[in-house]
Amino acid sequence: MKKLLKYLKPYTKECIIAPAFKMLEALFELYVPLVMTKIIDEGIKAGNKTVIYKNGGVLVLLGLIGLLCALIAQFFAAKAAIGFSKALRNSLYDRILGFSHESLEKEGTSSLITRMTNDINTLQNGVNMVLRLFLRSPFIVFGSMIMAFTISVKAALIFVIVIPVLFLVVLSITLITIPLYKRIQKFLDALTSHIRENLTGARVIRAFSKNEEEENEFRKDNDKFYSLSLVTGRISTLLNPLTLIIVNVGMVVLLSTGAYEVNSGALTNGMLYALVNYMSQILIELVKLSNLFITINRSLASASRIEETLETKETLLDEGKLSAKELNKSFDNLISFKNVDFTYPNAMDASLKNINIDIKEGETIGIIGATGSGKTSISNLLMRFYDVSRGEILYKEENIKNLTLSSLRREFSIVPQKAELFSGKLRENLSLGNKNASDEQMIEALKTAEAYDFVKDKGAGLDLEIREGGSNLSGGQKQRLCIARALVKESPVLIMDDSFSALDYATDARLRENLKKLKKTVIIISQRIISTMHADKIIVLDDGVIDSIGTHEELLKTSSLYKEICDSQNTEGASL
Amino acid sequence: MNKKEIYKRIMKLVSSHSFLLIISIILSILSVLSALYMPVLTGRAIDACIDKGMVDFESIKHNLFLFVIALLINGLSTFFMSLINNKVTFKIVRDLRNKLFDKIHKLPVVYLDSRGRGDILSRIISDVERLSDGLLLGFSQLFTGVFTVIATLVFMAIINPWLALTVLILTPISLVVASFISRKTYKHFSRQASLQGGLTSFINETVSSQRLITAMDAKDIKSKAFKEKNEEFAKVNLKALFYSSTTNPSTRFVNGLVYTSVGVFGGLLGIKGVISVGTLVAFLSYATQYTKPFNEISGVITEFQNAIACAGRIFDFLEAKESIDLLTDESPVKDLTGDISINNLSFSYDKTKKLLYDISFHVNKGEHIAIVGPTGCGKTTFINLLMRFYEPDGGEILFDNEVSYSIKKSTLRKNIGFVLQDTWVKNATIAENIAFGKPGATREEIIDAAKKSHAHSFISKLEKGYDTVVNQEATNLSAGQKQLLCIARVMLALPPILILDEATSSIDTMTEQRITKAFEALMEGRTSFIVAHRLSTIKNADLILVMKDGNIIEQGTHEELLVKKGFYYSMLHQN
Repeated sequence: MKKLLKYLKPYTKECIIAPAFKMLEALFELYVPLVMTKIIDEGIKAGNKTVIYKNGGVLVLLGLIGLLCALIAQFFAAKAAIGFSKALRNSLYDRILGFSHESLEKEGTSSLITRMTNDINTLQNGVNMVLRLFLRSPFIVFGSMIMAFTISVKAALIFVIVIPVLFLVVLSITLITIPLYKRIQKFLDALTSHIRENLTGARVIRAFSKNEEEENEFRKDNDKFYSLSLVTGRISTLLNPLTLIIVNVGMVVLLSTGAYEVNSGALTNGMLYALVNYMSQILIELVKLSNLFITINRSLASASRIEETLETKETLLDEGKLSAKELNKSFDNLISFKNVDFTYPNAMDASLKNINIDIKEGETIGIIGATGSGKTSISNLLMRFYDVSRGEILYKEENIKNLTLSSLRREFSIVPQKAELFSGKLRENLSLGNKNASDEQMIEALKTAEAYDFVKDKGAGLDLEIREGGSNLSGGQKQRLCIARALVKESPVLIMDDSFSALDYATDARLRENLKKLKKTVIIISQRIISTMHADKIIVLDDGVIDSIGTHEELLKTSSLYKEICDSQNTEGASL
Repeated sequence: MNKKEIYKRIMKLVSSHSFLLIISIILSILSVLSALYMPVLTGRAIDACIDKGMVDFESIKHNLFLFVIALLINGLSTFFMSLINNKVTFKIVRDLRNKLFDKIHKLPVVYLDSRGRGDILSRIISDVERLSDGLLLGFSQLFTGVFTVIATLVFMAIINPWLALTVLILTPISLVVASFISRKTYKHFSRQASLQGGLTSFINETVSSQRLITAMDAKDIKSKAFKEKNEEFAKVNLKALFYSSTTNPSTRFVNGLVYTSVGVFGGLLGIKGVISVGTLVAFLSYATQYTKPFNEISGVITEFQNAIACAGRIFDFLEAKESIDLLTDESPVKDLTGDISINNLSFSYDKTKKLLYDISFHVNKGEHIAIVGPTGCGKTTFINLLMRFYEPDGGEILFDNEVSYSIKKSTLRKNIGFVLQDTWVKNATIAENIAFGKPGATREEIIDAAKKSHAHSFISKLEKGYDTVVNQEATNLSAGQKQLLCIARVMLALPPILILDEATSSIDTMTEQRITKAFEALMEGRTSFIVAHRLSTIKNADLILVMKDGNIIEQGTHEELLVKKGFYYSMLHQN
C-alpha cells in the first residue's frame, strides 16, 4: 500500500479536509453528552427551564454544524478516493500496455483484468471509507478516553486498558485475513479466466458439446471461491462480538468501581452517566468499524496485488537512448543478425540457433520453413519483443538495444499472424500505428491491401463499425484490413507474418504486386512458395537453424529442403 | 427492466434461502432485545448510585449480573447471525455466477459475437459482487434495524408514552430524506454499472491484444482512449458516491433533532417530577438506539440502489433470448449418417442486406464437398449455419431427411467435427486439449491422434510433453502448432461428419500434405466439407461448390466445372 500512496498525493488537500471535517463533526458529537449532562444536572435537578431550552438550542446548533461538516467531509473523501483510483487505473493500464511479452504471459491476462477492475474498485472503496470513518472513529475512541480523564482519572484508566486490548484483537484479525483475501482474489482471477475462455471459445465448446464439462470446471473454482469467502467471512465477523464483549466488560468494571466512587463522593451520578455514555460511544464506533475493517483488509489485499503488477521487474530493459532517426545514414546492411541464439523464457530448447542474416535496404526477404521452425521468432526478436540469448541484432549497424524501444518499433510495420481488430470504427483501427494519418492515406492503404472494394461494398467507408474481434468480417477481410493498418503506419520496414493465409491466391497475387510498388524493405514470412518466390533473398529455416539462403532459382539447386517444399506445392499445389 | 421487477427478482433469489433467513431473523430479534436490555440495566445501575453514601450495592450487583448474561446472548446471537448472513449472501453469489456462466452456453453465438465480451465479464464478476455487497448490508442491517425500531418504540412507550410519541412523530422524516436521496442516486448507479461494463470491455480487448499494441507502437493512442473512458467513469462514479453518501449525515442530523427533543421534553417532564433522571437517561439511550437503526436503514436504502442497478444488468443478461432447441434434454442423442440436403437457405446479420441466399444442394453419405470462392463470399457463414450457430432466415437444412430444427443440437454437434480458421485452445494441458472432444481417451489414443496430425514431434520436444499447459495467449506454441492441436482434437473425436474451414492455413505445406493424407484416410466413408484454396484438396471432391457474393454460382465436380469454363475455371487460370 505504501507505494500506492503517491497516487493520493495530488489529493493531499482533500485527504486532510475530509478527515478534519469528520473530526470536527465527531468533536461536536462528543460535546453532546456534556450538554445533556448540563440539562440533567443543572436543568432538571435545579429545576431550571431556561438551562434546558438554552442547551436544547445548543444541541440543534451542534447538529447543524455537524451536518455541514459531514457533507464537506463526504464530498472531499469521495473526490480523493475517486481521484486516487482514477490515477491508479491510468497508471496500471499504462504499465500493463508497457509490459514485455514475457511479463504479460507471467502475470496472465485474466489476472491483469481483475486487477484493473475488481481490485481497484475494492481499493477505492477502502480509501473512501478510511477517509470518511477511520480518523473519526479513533478520534471518538481516544476522544472518549480523554474526556473520561477530565471526569475521573481513576475511571479513565479502565479506558486505557480496554483500548489497547481492542487494538490487539483488530490487528490479529487483520493479519490473518489479508492473505486469505489475496487468495480469494486469485480464485476470482480463475473465474475471470473461465469466463473469457468460454466467450472466445463458444463455437468450439458447443461443437464438442462440452458445455457441461466447462460448467463443472467453473463450478469447481466457484465453489473454492465460495468456501474460502465463507471461511474468511467467519474470521472477519469474529471481530464484532469480540470488540463488543471487550468494551462491555469495561463497562461492567466501570459501573462496579464507579458505584464505590459515587458512594465515596468522588463522582456524581451525572458524571457516572457521562462515563458510561463515553464507553457506549466507543462501542457504537467499534460496531461501525468492524464492518470497515473488513473493507480495509480486503482493500489491503487488493492493494498488494496492484502493487505487485506496478512493481513487476522487467528483464527487457528500455535503456537505449538513440532514436532511429539519429542513426548513420550510410550503412551497408539495414538489418543484420549476428550469431543469434534465442530460447523462449521457460523453454527447454533454443528456438533459434546461430542465425546470421543480412538485409539490405529495399530488399524483399522471404522466410520459409516448417511449422515451429522459428519464423515468427525472428520477427519477435527484430522488434525486440524478446532479447536475444546470444549474439546481436543490428539495425543500420547499431545494436537494437541502443535504440529506444518506441523508436525501434516505429521502424517496423508488422502484420501479425493473428488478424486482430479492435471494436470501433475502421478509421480508428487503421490509424492505430499512425494517429495523424489522413483519410486519403487510409483509403490508399486499403486499395493496396485489396480491401477497398469490400469496404466500399459495406457502404460506411472509413466509418465502418467493426465488432469486437472483427466478428462481422470474414477471415480474409480481417487479414486485409490488418495489412492496410500496417501500411498506414508508414514504417521503412514491412513485416508480414503469414499474412496471406486466409486470402485466396488471386488476391494474394494482386496484393504482392501492389506491395512491390511501395519500394519498402519487406520481410515476408510464409508457408506459400508463391508468396516468397520473387523475393531477393529467401531464408529457409529448419528447426531453428538456417538451412540455406538464396534466391528461388539458387535454392532450387542448392537446397533439398527448399526443393521439397516447392514440390509439395508445385506438382499438386496449384491453388485457387 | 424496471426497479419493481428487479426487486421482485431479488426477493425470489433471497426467498430460496428462507430457512436460514428465518433463523437469522430469530437471532436478530435476540440480538436486538439483548442489546436494548443492556442500557436498561446500566441505567438501573446508575440510578442505584444516587449520591454520596446512598449507593445500593445489592441492586448494582444484581443488574450487572443480568448485564453480563445479556452481553453473552447479544455477542453470540450477533455472531451467528453474521455467519448465516454471510453464508446466504455467498451462496446467492455462487449460484448466480453459476447461472450466468451457464447462460453463456445457452445464448446464440450471434449474441456473443455482437456484445462486448468484457461487458459480459463485468456482469458476472463486478455486478454480482456489488449485488452481494448490497445484500450483505441489507441482511445485516435491515432486520436488526427494523426490530430495533419496533422494540425500542415498545420499550419507550412502556417507560413514557408521551416521549415515545415525540420520537415516533419525528423519525420518519429521516426515511423521507433517505428515499429522496436514493431516488436521485439510482440513475447515477445505473449509469456507473453500465460504464463499468464498457470500461471492462475496453480493458479486456486491449489487454488481450497488448502484443499487437506494442508492435504497432500504439500505446499512446490506447492509453489516451483509456484515460478518456476512465475520466467519464470517474465522473459518474464521483456523483454516485457523493450523492449516496449524503444520506448518512442528513439522517443523522434528523436523528440529532429527535435526541434533542427527547432531552428537552424529558427535561421539562423531569422538572415536573413526572420522570426520574435515571428514566430520562435510559430514555435518551433508547432514543440513540432507536435513531441509529433508522440511520442504518436509510444508509442501506441508498447503498442498495447500487445493488439494484447491478442486479438489473445481471437479470437482463439472464433474460436474454436463448438459442432455440425445440427438443427437450431427455430426447436421446442420435447418430447421423451424413446425408445432407440444403434447400433455399438464406441468412443475413443485417436484415437489409442479403449475406447468403438461395443455397441449395444435396450431399450423399460419405461424399466430400469442397467450398471455394473469394474471401468474404460467405463460406464461413454457411458453416456456421450448418452447425446451427446461426439460425437461417429462410430455407432448411435436412440431415437424413429430417429438418435440422427437429434434431437435437447436441446430436448435430456430436456428429459434426470441425477445425476452424481461428484456432482455440483451452487453458489446460496439451493432452486435455486433444482429448477435448473425447473425454476419457487413453494416453495411447491421444498420442496416436497427435501422430496422425503431425503434432507429436513438437509435443515430445516440450519439457513436459503432453502435460505442458497451454492457453490461447501463451507463446510457448506457434500459431501453426496450435492449429495442429485443433486438428488432433478432431482426429481423436472422429465424428461422422467433418468440417474443415481453412484448417491448415498456418501450417507449412509439407506437413499439410501429410495431414491431408491422414484426413483422407479419416474421411473415408464420412461426409466432409472442406473450405480450402489448395487445388489438390479441391480436385478430388465429389462436389465443388463455387460461392460468390453469398450465393452458389456453380456446382459440380472438378472436371464438370472446368468444361463449363465459368468462374471456377477463371479462378484457376488467373495465376
